[in-house]
Amino acid sequence: MISNQDSAASADATIIVEGLERVYSSGLRAVDGVDLAVAAGEIYGFLGPNGAGKSTTVRILTTLLRPTGGHASVAGFDVVKQASQVRRSIGVALQEAALDPLMTGRELLELQGALHGLRRAESKLRADELLERVDLVAAADRLLNTYSGGMRRRLDLAMALVHRPMVLFLDEPTTGLDPVSRSSLWTELRKLNDEGTTIFLTTQYLEEAEQLADRVGIIDHGKIVAEGTPQELGRLVGEPGLYVKLIEQSESGRARDLLAVHGAVSDREAGGLTIRTSLGARAIAPIVRTLDEAQIEVDAVEVEEPTLDDVFIAVTGHRADEDVTEDAS
Amino acid sequence: MSSFALERDLATQGRVITALAKRALRVQLRRAQFLLPSFLLPLLLLAVVASGTSAAQQLPGFPNTGSYVGFVVSGTIMQGTLLAGLMAGIAIAGDIEGGFFDRLLSAPIHRVSIVLGRVLGTALIGMVQAILFVSVALLMGADFKGGVIGVVLTVLLAALSASAAAGLGATIALRTGSLSLMQNLFPFVFVLLFTAPAFFPRALLNPVLETISVVNPLSYVVEGMRAALFDSAALGSVWGGFAAGIGSVVFTCALAVWAMRSRLRS
Repeated sequence: MISNQDSAASADATIIVEGLERVYSSGLRAVDGVDLAVAAGEIYGFLGPNGAGKSTTVRILTTLLRPTGGHASVAGFDVVKQASQVRRSIGVALQEAALDPLMTGRELLELQGALHGLRRAESKLRADELLERVDLVAAADRLLNTYSGGMRRRLDLAMALVHRPMVLFLDEPTTGLDPVSRSSLWTELRKLNDEGTTIFLTTQYLEEAEQLADRVGIIDHGKIVAEGTPQELGRLVGEPGLYVKLIEQSESGRARDLLAVHGAVSDREAGGLTIRTSLGARAIAPIVRTLDEAQIEVDAVEVEEPTLDDVFIAVTGHRADEDVTEDAS
Repeated sequence: MSSFALERDLATQGRVITALAKRALRVQLRRAQFLLPSFLLPLLLLAVVASGTSAAQQLPGFPNTGSYVGFVVSGTIMQGTLLAGLMAGIAIAGDIEGGFFDRLLSAPIHRVSIVLGRVLGTALIGMVQAILFVSVALLMGADFKGGVIGVVLTVLLAALSASAAAGLGATIALRTGSLSLMQNLFPFVFVLLFTAPAFFPRALLNPVLETISVVNPLSYVVEGMRAALFDSAALGSVWGGFAAGIGSVVFTCALAVWAMRSRLRS
């Protein structure tokens, strides 16, 4: 596991979590000593299966739930003692876009403006700006029950931005969305981050964390089991692999023996081989030369970087899309 | 807190309460499942009671109010406001189950404002109900000696009754967070209604109901409405109605705020 102690001690962190715990009255320990730090302007991906403790952690950081142990601060304010200041500094889009289906997009944005202390005229102006930003101008005066899932998510994001928060918490923002809506939301999140917003994002999707996050924390059974950049986490799996596909499947045995000098070789389907080597892509040329000298024809060679999926399995022993037995979130 | 900061905070919370009240009103008027119990059901009962039991006014001890519909319209207003309060509770439970409540809690607003916004929205619905039901009663032949002032006082009493009912509905919703439980509380509205002199004068209630009606604050509110509409102290006390109404609002809203705090602690 990559230690998070260095980053936790970071002085300029916008989110600091130390020994955070939440034990429910049923005895369920949903969050069990979480430590993490998120720097200003960073996108932090919080990854884990259902019930791992992601949503409980977010609920504590957004002041919706009190911790039973440890400390957390957001934007320099303690989430328990200075909850009101925390709420002024954050934007929140929780799971499943909780929006009133009998209100219009514009009404909801104006209500959100009022909740954040904007005057009526300011609220209206901000609502117009945000409707344009999330491309909902045409649907602004329609009731929410006519919106698609993607439109609801975009409106949810717009509502979280009404008061120009320093920190944005997004709890599984793309769950249930089609690939096009997901990609459009990712683009908007990158844009927001470029403008300086710190983003704390929970997700079950490894691809989402890889695509968006500067750093990723993996939580399982209420504990952070790994943390680092996607590249750092990739190294936890071991050496990168090179996939070699041969034209003649019958040559795979001979090729395996020859390539053993370059690294650990394992068989793949249809005459393919994987060679694990610390040289990564730099091993391609010597491998092709070895096979060429032995007159074994190569169809393709590909570098296989470890994915977060591999990391997840390596550190937790199960896949990210498997639910934890007791649903803690 | 300096007086300037206090004033600014109060102004902000005022805007929050108004915005939440507008939302409550808007959503309630857009949802048929809320409109039917709050507006249509009381009108149906008014029509049925006024035509089916009008002979009651011949009973000894029944006050002379001209038409029976004029007498029972206060009960209809009470019924409507109680149902509006229940609908407020259902709406809060719906917000809790649907996650909208978390959106409110994650905003930098006083928790009391969330309760007061819903209560104010329901009070406005109560006022609309009172104006509608009194208008219908006038069309059905009622003659209110209290005139415009009597109607205005009745509308204000309706606002208090709706606010108190909303406070009670909010308390139960916040304690339980259960939409289905709130929906099953419908019959209890009628228990509250029939243990107050909503459709008959107190003297004609059976002894058990009459005893209960003494401690039911709604008795004083409904009698206050009647006294205002007919400008008759013999039918009740307008100021007694306001005292009972204001007391009930303060009590149920305090309960709702307590329920909110308990919910946030858990």
